[in-house]
Amino acid sequence: MTDLTFNAVRKSFGPLEIVKGIDLAVKSGEFVVFVGPSGCGKSTLLRMIAGLESVTSGQIVIGGEDVTNTPPAQRGIAMVFQSYALFPHMNVGENISFGMRLAHQPRELIAKRVNEVADILQIKHLLDRRPKQLSGGQRQRVAIGRAIIRNPKVFLFDEPLSNLDAALRVQMRLEIARLHSELGATMVYVTHDQVEAMTLADRIVVLNSGRIEQVGTPMELYENPANLFVARFIGSPAMNLFPARVVADGALQLAAGAKPVAAHVGAAADTKVTLGVRSEHLAITSPEQAMLQAKLVAIERLGSENIAYLEAAESPDPVAVSLPHTTVPRVGEMLPIGLSGGVTHIFGEDGNRI
Amino acid sequence: MTSAAPPRAGAGGFDAWKAATLAILIILALVFLAPTVGVLLSSIKSTRDIALGNLWSMPNSVYLANYIEVLTNPAVHTYMLNTLLVAVPATIGSIGLGILAGYVFAKLPFRGSNLLFLVLVAGMFFPPQVILIPLFRLFNGLGLIDTLWPVIIVHIGLGIPICTLLMRNFFATVPNALREAAILEGANEWQVLTRVALPISLPALAVLVTLQFTWIWNDFLWPLIFTQSDNKRTIMLGLVSLKGQYSVAWGVQGALSLIATLPTLIVFLFFQRYFIKGMTMGAVKG
Repeated sequence: MTDLTFNAVRKSFGPLEIVKGIDLAVKSGEFVVFVGPSGCGKSTLLRMIAGLESVTSGQIVIGGEDVTNTPPAQRGIAMVFQSYALFPHMNVGENISFGMRLAHQPRELIAKRVNEVADILQIKHLLDRRPKQLSGGQRQRVAIGRAIIRNPKVFLFDEPLSNLDAALRVQMRLEIARLHSELGATMVYVTHDQVEAMTLADRIVVLNSGRIEQVGTPMELYENPANLFVARFIGSPAMNLFPARVVADGALQLAAGAKPVAAHVGAAADTKVTLGVRSEHLAITSPEQAMLQAKLVAIERLGSENIAYLEAAESPDPVAVSLPHTTVPRVGEMLPIGLSGGVTHIFGEDGNRI
Repeated sequence: MTSAAPPRAGAGGFDAWKAATLAILIILALVFLAPTVGVLLSSIKSTRDIALGNLWSMPNSVYLANYIEVLTNPAVHTYMLNTLLVAVPATIGSIGLGILAGYVFAKLPFRGSNLLFLVLVAGMFFPPQVILIPLFRLFNGLGLIDTLWPVIIVHIGLGIPICTLLMRNFFATVPNALREAAILEGANEWQVLTRVALPISLPALAVLVTLQFTWIWNDFLWPLIFTQSDNKRTIMLGLVSLKGQYSVAWGVQGALSLIATLPTLIVFLFFQRYFIKGMTMGAVKG
């Protein structure tokens, strides 16, 4: 059981700074997901833990030991690659036991460990096959097997599911969650898929252009996004954002001049802010209670609910509203939309939560 | 635009394009095989048969004395042995160095490595005539003339550009993630090369072994320059030396020519299943 700490870690490629000072402590046995858009530095960060990228400045500590300059194999980590990175000329058993064979471990011990790992992953019947004879999901299992057999202190996953189709992705997601609870190991997982992040993580680290935007449990990020970036990134459909202005008594005036929205914003009158409301906290209301009038442009039927997308003068982007699955308005219809449940998020001009 | 599509015959139908391709290939094959058949026919004819008929005439009976004469000639044994003593180490040496250089250029680039690679590959375009006299003087100064050493050394040197080029390009197709996965498992760079990169690159290796071995085995120029005494000659020089001053023993020369090509044929047959794959590598995905 091992914790993992970043102390002011930076990484530059020439003049380009990719990781701009990361401080983070991952607790022992925790499942932490790095999430963010392409180029935010999340994969670079993972590769720095692995030792595949050097650290420009700062310190990486695994289990109390500074590993910043330790060779990859001696860091006690194992990594699962997006492309699986299985050795094509070796069968599954040889792939899994590659590291043990390199270390000249006794043959009986290798066979025993390979069998144990194959049992955990239910791939015993595949041990003699070559990677090209396996399906995507089976390959991913073998790649995970190669990681497990090392008994690593920290597991690293680099977008391990992005090459799989949707159904298999859900299945492997459950598998990885099961593995985490069985092994109890510290896991660091990189993805750009916020659904994967929400479902797997104990804590999510949202990264944006080399900086941490917010760290928290999935529900903390969902319910209390620290800034506009996290608000946009976490949750599907994305949070609705309305440019607004504070008027008297902390109420909000939406940009397009509709009537003020009751709120208690602790900011001076006339301050420009952004009002954020999740789709489930909006509803079709009576015209008197409506915050805005919007034209329905599309409706997505998800079975359990319907997501309506509406065009409104108050918002530059389409407004998403969750409706019960029985409510199916016509496309083109003008609908009165108001707050329901009263959960709103207010962000200041600098993008941070007020 | 459908009319612009090339005419395609249905299943089992006559395809003019395919037939023409096949015809051209057959004609080319015959043109390339004809000299060999001529030599084969000469090699199984007696001197009298050769004198009476022409190159293409069929012998009255299969005459094997030419082969017996060649195979029992101790000089031929020496030629064969000398050629092997040159071709095997020079092939191994040039490919070995090509593998090491190719791996570095493909997987461990450093500042200026692309330029260095270009310079190295440019070595392929040197005409041998340009370096012939300097090399002769060099090896003469080293006292190595009339030994096999200069032939081996020159072939290793001349082989480095093509070997490096081919191996670098093949190693470049080996995903970086494989190298990184191996390193995470505790492999050092040498183990990545020998346990992962090389086994995956067998097709490229097979092509190289066949090319290099054939080229070195068949070489005439460098042994001619660097060796003088008969017991240092390679097989290609031996073929010429079998010619008398005023007469040519066509039958014996034919037999020796065919025997001389056997080792390259064996190498090709041994590696051909990889060779075909290697020749088409990169042509299709997957």
